[in-house]
Formats: sequence, C-alpha cells, structure tokens
Amino acid sequence: MKLPLSWLKEHTPLNAPVAEIADTLIRLGHEVEGVESPRADVKGVRVGQIQSMQPHPDADKLKLLKVDIGEAEPLVIVCGASNMGEGDKVPVATIGTSLPNGMKIKKGKIRGQTSFGMCCSEAELGLAEDAAGLLILPSDAPVGAEVGDYLELEEAVFDLSITPNRGDCMNARGIARDLAADADLPFSDVPCPDVSVDAGIASPAISVSAEDDCPLYMARRIEGVRVGDSPLWLQGRLLAAGQRPVNGVVDVLNYLMLDLGQPMHAFDAGTLKGGVCIRSATEGEAFAALDGRELKLSDGDLVVADSSSVLALAGIMGSLHSGVTEFTADILLESAFFRPARVSTTRRIYAMVSEASMRFERGVDPAMVAVAMQRATAMITELFGGKAGEVSISGAADSIQGGQSLSCSLKRLQTRLGVEIPASCDAVLSRMGFDVRRDGDRIDVTVPSYRHDISIPEDISEEYARVIGFDAIPATMPQLDITRPDIPDASIASAVADGFVQVITYAFIPRNEQRLFAEADGADIELANPLSDAMTVMRRSIWPGLLNIARHNLNRQQAGVALVEQGRTYVRTAGGHDENNLMAWLMTGEVQRDDWFAAARQADFFDLKGAVEAWLQNRGLSARFVADDKVRGLQPGQSAQVLVGRGIVGRIGKVDAGIADAFDIEVPVFVAEINLDALPEGKAPKFAPLAEFPGVERDLVFLFDRGTQAEDILQAVRKAGGRFLTEARIFDLYEGQGVSEGKISLGVRFMLQAADRTLTQEDSDAAMNAITEAIEKRFSATLRG
Amino acid sequence: MSGIDALNEQLSGLQDAAVKAFAAAADPAALEQLRVSYLGKKGALTEVLKGVGKLPPEDRPVIGQKVNAVKQALADAWQATSEKLESEAVSLRIEAERVDVTLAGRRRDSGAMHPVHKGLQEMTAIFSQMGFSIAEGPEIEDEFHNFDALNIPLEHPARAMHDTFFLNDMSNEKGEPMLLRTHTSPVQIRAMQRCMEDGEPPLAIVAPGRVYRCDYDVTHSPMFHQVEVFKVDRNVSLAHLKGVLQHFLSAYFEKDVPIRLRPHYFPFTEPSAEVDIGCVFCKGSGCRICKNSGWLEVLGSGMIHPNVLASVGIDAEEYSGFAFGLGVERLVMLKHGIPDLRLFFENDVRFLRRMGA
Repeated sequence: MKLPLSWLKEHTPLNAPVAEIADTLIRLGHEVEGVESPRADVKGVRVGQIQSMQPHPDADKLKLLKVDIGEAEPLVIVCGASNMGEGDKVPVATIGTSLPNGMKIKKGKIRGQTSFGMCCSEAELGLAEDAAGLLILPSDAPVGAEVGDYLELEEAVFDLSITPNRGDCMNARGIARDLAADADLPFSDVPCPDVSVDAGIASPAISVSAEDDCPLYMARRIEGVRVGDSPLWLQGRLLAAGQRPVNGVVDVLNYLMLDLGQPMHAFDAGTLKGGVCIRSATEGEAFAALDGRELKLSDGDLVVADSSSVLALAGIMGSLHSGVTEFTADILLESAFFRPARVSTTRRIYAMVSEASMRFERGVDPAMVAVAMQRATAMITELFGGKAGEVSISGAADSIQGGQSLSCSLKRLQTRLGVEIPASCDAVLSRMGFDVRRDGDRIDVTVPSYRHDISIPEDISEEYARVIGFDAIPATMPQLDITRPDIPDASIASAVADGFVQVITYAFIPRNEQRLFAEADGADIELANPLSDAMTVMRRSIWPGLLNIARHNLNRQQAGVALVEQGRTYVRTAGGHDENNLMAWLMTGEVQRDDWFAAARQADFFDLKGAVEAWLQNRGLSARFVADDKVRGLQPGQSAQVLVGRGIVGRIGKVDAGIADAFDIEVPVFVAEINLDALPEGKAPKFAPLAEFPGVERDLVFLFDRGTQAEDILQAVRKAGGRFLTEARIFDLYEGQGVSEGKISLGVRFMLQAADRTLTQEDSDAAMNAITEAIEKRFSATLRG
Repeated sequence: MSGIDALNEQLSGLQDAAVKAFAAAADPAALEQLRVSYLGKKGALTEVLKGVGKLPPEDRPVIGQKVNAVKQALADAWQATSEKLESEAVSLRIEAERVDVTLAGRRRDSGAMHPVHKGLQEMTAIFSQMGFSIAEGPEIEDEFHNFDALNIPLEHPARAMHDTFFLNDMSNEKGEPMLLRTHTSPVQIRAMQRCMEDGEPPLAIVAPGRVYRCDYDVTHSPMFHQVEVFKVDRNVSLAHLKGVLQHFLSAYFEKDVPIRLRPHYFPFTEPSAEVDIGCVFCKGSGCRICKNSGWLEVLGSGMIHPNVLASVGIDAEEYSGFAFGLGVERLVMLKHGIPDLRLFFENDVRFLRRMGA
C-alpha cells in the first residue's frame, strides 16, 4: 500500500524527517518497503516558456528551441518532440539534473547543435508510464519555478506492507493514528458531515437474511448525479497511492476507502429491479463478475441481489452490469460490515482479490460504516450534483464484536516480554484508542472497535512490545537443560570424502521418469496442483534426479561425474504413505582422465561398488552384493541387491543403455541406492591385539568355469582354509589367450598367520592342500599353479 | 744393492703403481679387480713378500714395518677411491631419479558437500551444541499439523499466502486432505504432542528439513529448506528469543552481527517479529542488496501463540515458548555471497566444488 506523507499529514501534524517517520513505522510493525520522493526526483527541472522554435538545420525531426527559464539568457535546446508551439510552457531539465529514469542531463551536441538542457514528457518526470510528447504546463505556470513545487509533487510516498492482522492500518487514518499516538501528536476526529436529505427520494428496500455474515448494512439512493471525472487533486491522491482513476463516483469511494478504511460500493440504481437483499447464494446461481468471469455460485456465498440477479459477491466484487458508469444518473450507495471469515472463504474459492475484499477479510471498523456513508454522500453530491435520500439500515454497529475488555496480569505480561512495562506506555495505548486501567498487578484494557486482532493477553503484550520497541528488550540466554547431544549425521561427509559431489534435486519428478525405476502399481503420490509437467509426482527413486544432473554436467564439458544425494522417496501405502530416507549415488564418464601418468578410464560397476562398500565400512558395516537381473531400469548382468546381514538395504547397477540414451548420456552410467532406514546400527570398533608373529603369503591360481562367482569361491576357501587363514582375496582375473573358451583363470592370494608362533612350511602346505582339494571338489576347477 | 734395499724399492714401486691404479679405477668392479691383483692372496704384494724370507733375521722387522706401511697406504688409497666411486654412483642415481616437482600431483577429483546441506548442518550443530534436540517430521503432512494446530484456520488470510501443494487422493484418518508441508513448523506440533504423551515441558527442539511452496521464480524455489527452532518452558520470554537469535546469528556468520527485531504478524506466534541482520555486504551503510536500508531480513520469529500450545494440550498459563524458522538458502546465500537461488538446484558441479571446498 502506498501512502503519501501529505495524506498522513491531513490526519496528524507530522513534522519529523521522512527517514525518522520510516523508522517509526518499522518499529511499530508497518514494514516500509520503500520511500519514493517524486519531488526530489525532479529537482532541477524548471518551468520554461518556449520563445522561439526553428527547424534543426541538419535533422528533419529535430527542432531548435529558445526557452526562457527566468535566467538572463534563454536556453538553446534541441528537442525531438512535435506537440509544442511557441509560447507553450514546458518542464525543462537543466544541466546537471538527474531524472527518475536515471538519465543525467549534460551539455551536449545533437547533430552539430549544442543543447543546454532537455524538455521533458510526463514519462521522463516519472509521472506516467509513457507519454506521446512534452508535458505542456498550464499557461499560468510561473517561468523559472521548480516543476516539482509547481505541480505539488509528493515530498514522500511510503510503500508499506501491512500485515494481515492490521486491517485497521490499510488506510491513511489508521497509519496516522499509530504515528500520532507514538509521537504524542494531535489526531483529529473524522468529520461526519450533515447531509441534507431529500424527503422525495425513497429509502431503498433492503432485507438481510444472512445476518451472521452481514451484521450491518446501510444503503441510500442518490438521484440525478452527473458522473464526471473526479477533481485533479483526488486523481492525484489515487495515483500517488497506486490506483487508477475510473470515474468520479468510483474514485470518491476508492479515495474514502484509502482514507478511512471502509470499502463502499455504488450500484447503478437504474439497472436494479426491486429492493436489494443480502442473502446466501443458491446452489449454482449465476454471477457475471466485473472482472468478466461467469461464476456458478454455491450455497453459503454471501451475495447482494435484487429480485432478478446477483449484484455483487458481498464485499468482494460487483457484477458486470450493475456498476456506475458515466451514464449513471441514480446511484444506490452501499456501506456495510461483512463477516471477515465469509469474505475470505468466498474470495479464496473463486480466486478473486480486490481492494475491498482485502479490507473486509481483515475486518473493517463497524463504527466507520455510517461515517463513510455520510462522507461519500456529501462528496458525491458536492462534486457531481444529485440529491440524497434517507439511509436504510439493517443491523447495528454495536452488535459487532469489538470494544471487548481484557484483563491480564502485569507480571505475566512482563515475564513474557522479559522487560518492565513502564506506566508511560499506557498513555501511548490510550492514544491508539485503547482504554487502559492499572490496578495493582491487573491491567484492564478495552479494545477499540477497529482492532479485530486483539483478543487475548498476548495480543496486549505485543502492543506493549511495539510501544516499548523490540530494540529496548534485552537479549538474555534461556536456561537450557543438559541433554545428550545428537551425533551429527556423517552420511554425506563420508561420500564426499570419497570424491562424490553432493547434489539436491526436487522431490517431485515427471511421471515418465518415475516409470523408469518404479512400476505403475498405484503407489505413486501425485500433486494435485503441480507447477509444471516436470513436477507432477513425488519421486520413488532419486535416480531420475541424478540422471538429469549428470546430463546437465556432461553437457558442460565435465568428462565424468560422481554424484551423491541424500533425501527422501515417497510411496503410497495401504494405510497412508511412507517417506524413506535414502542415499543415492551416480557415477558416469571418466574416473581417470588422460594424464601424464595414466590413460583415461571410464567408470565401471566396480568403481561404484567400491564407493558403496567404503561408505558402509565407514559406518562399521559390510555388505554382500547378490546378482539380480530383475532390478527395474538396470541392465541384467550388471545389477545387484545390496545386503547387510540378511536384509536387503539397497541396489546397485548399470543403468539400461536405453534409459541413459533418453538422458542423452552415451557412456555407461552406474547408480546405487541405500535405504538408510533399513541399515542396522554399525558397530563401534573394538580393540583386538595386533599379530606378533609374521604371516605367510601364498598364491594359488585356478581355472574355473566362466560364471563362477568370486564370493562363492572365497566362501569355500574360508571354510576350507583352517584356523591360520586370516585373509583371502582374488588378486588376478584373466581370460583369453592361453585359457580355453568358457574358462577363467583366477588367482587367489592368502595370508596365513598364527597368534602364538611363526608358521612352518608344513602348516601352510597343509592349508593350501586343503583349499585346493575343496575348490576342485566344489567347483569344476583345476589348479594352474 | 743389498737384499733389503732391493725389497724396499720394490715395495715403494708397488705402492706408487697401486695408488695410481686405484685412483684411476673407473668403477667399483675395476677397483675390486685392482684390489685383488695387488692385495689378494695371489696378488702383487704377496709376490713381493716372498722375498722377505730370504732376508737376514735382523732386517726382517725393518722390512716388516715397511710392508705394514705399504699395506696401510694401499688400503687408504682403495678406501678413498671406493668412497669416491660410491658417491659418484649415488649422484648418478639421484640424477637419474630427478623428477619435475611442478608436474600435477596424482589425485582424484575431490568431492564437495552441497552448500545448502553444509549450511543446514552448521545451523543444526549450533543449536544442538546450545542444548536443543534434533527432531524431524514428515514432509507429506495433514492440514491439522501444517495449519490448524498452528492457529491458521481455513479462512485465515495467512493460509492463502502459503501457496500449498496438495496431493491427489490422499487424506489422513480424519479424511482431511494431505499436502506438502509449507514450513517446518508442523514438527513443532508433533514434538510437543510427543512430549505431552509421556511428560511435560521443558522442550527445546531444532528441526531441519525440506519444505514446499507452489511458487517458482527468480527468488522462489518450489522446494527449499528451513530450520525450525523452539523452546517451551516456564517463564520463557521474548528476551530469551533475542538472546538465542543473537547467539545463533553471530555463531553462523562467524562475527558479531547486529540484529533488529521488527513487530510482524504470524498466526502461530504472538508477539511476532521479523528479524533483520545488519547488511553483511555493506556493513549497514546501505547497498543494492539491502535496498539501501542497511538491514537484511533473515527470519520470522515470535512467542508461541497460546492457541498453538492449547492445540497440543500445553497450559499456556503455566508455560510459554519462543519459536522461529530459518530460511536455509537465504542464510547460505548471505554468508557466501551467492547471488542466485537457482544455482542451488541447478547442481552444476563446478559451482558445487567451488562452494563445497
């Protein structure tokens, strides 16, 4: 909401500097988003009179002007406009002036002719968004005067963001009241003019059947008006407040809404049929709204209607056909209090918002309903003629909640704020309209009718906090109990230490990407109101997100990426839904680039497997990898389940080439995921004595059938190896020349060790023989050496 | 010439020749060959010594001394050459092994933590160290926890400001529609409910997490991160809120930052305050980023509304509490001078490596 300082000054004689007023507004809880200074913005622009106008010798579209700005010599100005003539008065930006659009005026040559200033349009002065030509000033404008002074441009316009609880401050009077109370300045009552009523004009027939939603309704007829444009001062106010003038009657009502906070509505009485009733809409009732929409209303919507149609969604928007136009002669003027929750609900259902609804849904001042009606009547008849009839009234202002009394403990208020509340604050609250009485520890407060946001002692504590100023409240530390601190989650840190870059992707993904790794089994959770097709369904796998990020980076000349993400996946279940905490990895492209010491190498299954193993090991866990050709989206033969103990905790494998291709990735892509919720607690390392006696290292190389799994071999080895075998691992894998078709050569390296002595040749020979025997028996394998 | 003189001369000649030969040896193998030829069992010296037996007994001690001197001289000469050759060999080896120390070291590309995650961990750690317990809650929430219990009834204007994502065909046991939580405040409700099941306050919780709003432009992401912090106890005051905020903000920004509380409105707190910090870019003198105000808005806070306490059965006469919600992305942007929110979700590894280093 924009409010010019001059408007505030009509309510209270503010004399502090603008910056200080802005600070006070902020302290009182009215956020100042900006302060414009239209007058200062055009400082240096002066009223000039065109003495002579000649064509530019070298440019058809330019003119050479001699402009008198009240100095000894007229200025020579090159000008491109064409709407002026000799004798016209125009704004002249003199050398050194900075205009609101950022242009700085300098002496300069235009097509060979020196120009000593610039004649300005409304747009260049920041008074309009665009303009066809120069602003031609009235002929009585004093030559040489500052244009800002002459046009009485605003000294300051505050751009305020009013919080939803302060409906009472969505107008000049409310803001002025807070400022006046704070600075202890006089604050004038709103004049409620006497209106001469023409007895010949019937008071309108009104009937209110929805009294809960409309506890107070006033209406009167004004007949014989001639709706013209509103006066310039009023248009200026509206423009300064950011509103466009419409027509005289509408402008008056908007002006009063911005001044007093009471939205009113004027119907063209000539379009009405019968009296008006304020009632709940019938189911399916049609309403052609002013914004051009055709609505089907529902039971419960509060409407103002005549005998044939809906004239307005009460407090929100009028109908397309009942509004006041320049042809309207008779007006039905409405001023009312509509229940905030009703306006809010209806407005939300139809996604409508208007200046009126914003005020009604925050609550207007019941006491202002009648005052605004009188002010509007007086202004309209004064400006546009016509005669006013008697007001019809339904309900009463004092039936509306307001003026309620609260009683609270001073001690409690002070405890909650952590600061003393001096009695001097009561005077400020009184000036804000509260009635405050102290009696020992008790504070009794009567709340003014316009403060719908005050209903409990905590609300009073906030009022005091505003008056004291949050800055004046000390900062102290609360007592915090000694608790066992939570151990920070190192899931990401350990993957990052292993060379992975952590990413964060959206939890919602496109439906087609969901299908890549999750079946269409009804477990998807879909957004009812997605922002785009790319964010329609809650992810059941993190892999699509990672694939998108991999593509993004590969397209930016990264030869390889190693990504990790920690986040949730979301699955619908019979009883509701599950949110699983997952770690997900992706590796693709080069893990080793061409370097002076090595040739480039692409990532393979075992690069990622190693990373997952290392990550688990960091948590004190070890895993088994069990081949599984049926993991959706992964390539058979290069995919596996990850098991810790007996439980499946994750999956790993190569992304189907077709899927990778769909993400424009031409190199193999490997992904893995681990369900953090399924992981057992790792074991903290326990001390064991270090071996005292040296171990013996031995190698055996066997020929196996292709397809024999390393894990099976090592298991057989461990079983047969006896008590001295401490370690066994595959150190060589070979197939090809020298190894017959269908066979692989595997080298196994053993470590044999005893805790109490150095092993003898016989000991290790015995172990090797046992292992060889077991392997040859269990597999169709032969010892090579 | 007597026998002894001849022998002396022979020995001297041998010494001269050997010392010269040793010095000229080109490598250890040649030197060894020379040693054998002069000092070995069948070497030149042994040959000369055969003549000693022919000398008269009184001459033998004299020649004995001479022999010892020659032996010593030869040993010294051998030693000197040997050392010289060895040091030459070492030099050669060192020269052969010389590397270009300016070549790149052999290493993998380093990983990087996402700056938002890093910020989230830093923030959580500060509160955890102060004595707040970490809690989490579901991201798919019901209206009760996200709105109603937080004193945001259906018709409340604040509810519309939340731009909520709703979910198709999902409801809780009461048939209320499910949604993506718009803030981490529902964790406040859940933690208080859990606390009241088997006890009562005090309660001090920090709840980090992802939140969602139906809003997507240069300064809004439909998914972002918040950290909810609250404490409920007897006699908790606005002054305590200020104390905790001051401590946290100074700890997070690693310097003393001025803070300013402005009265504001949130349905779930009363009084409510927006919290500003002195602009970290211009140090309060006014710049483009703080719109020349010298202040940057960083979070919303306040004293927990009695209706919120009542919604979970906490007696607002006896207990009070403060609560605030941190926008993680915003604080991380301010701390590291990151100009654009979208960088966080673009996940360009060049950006992430630079920020995560």
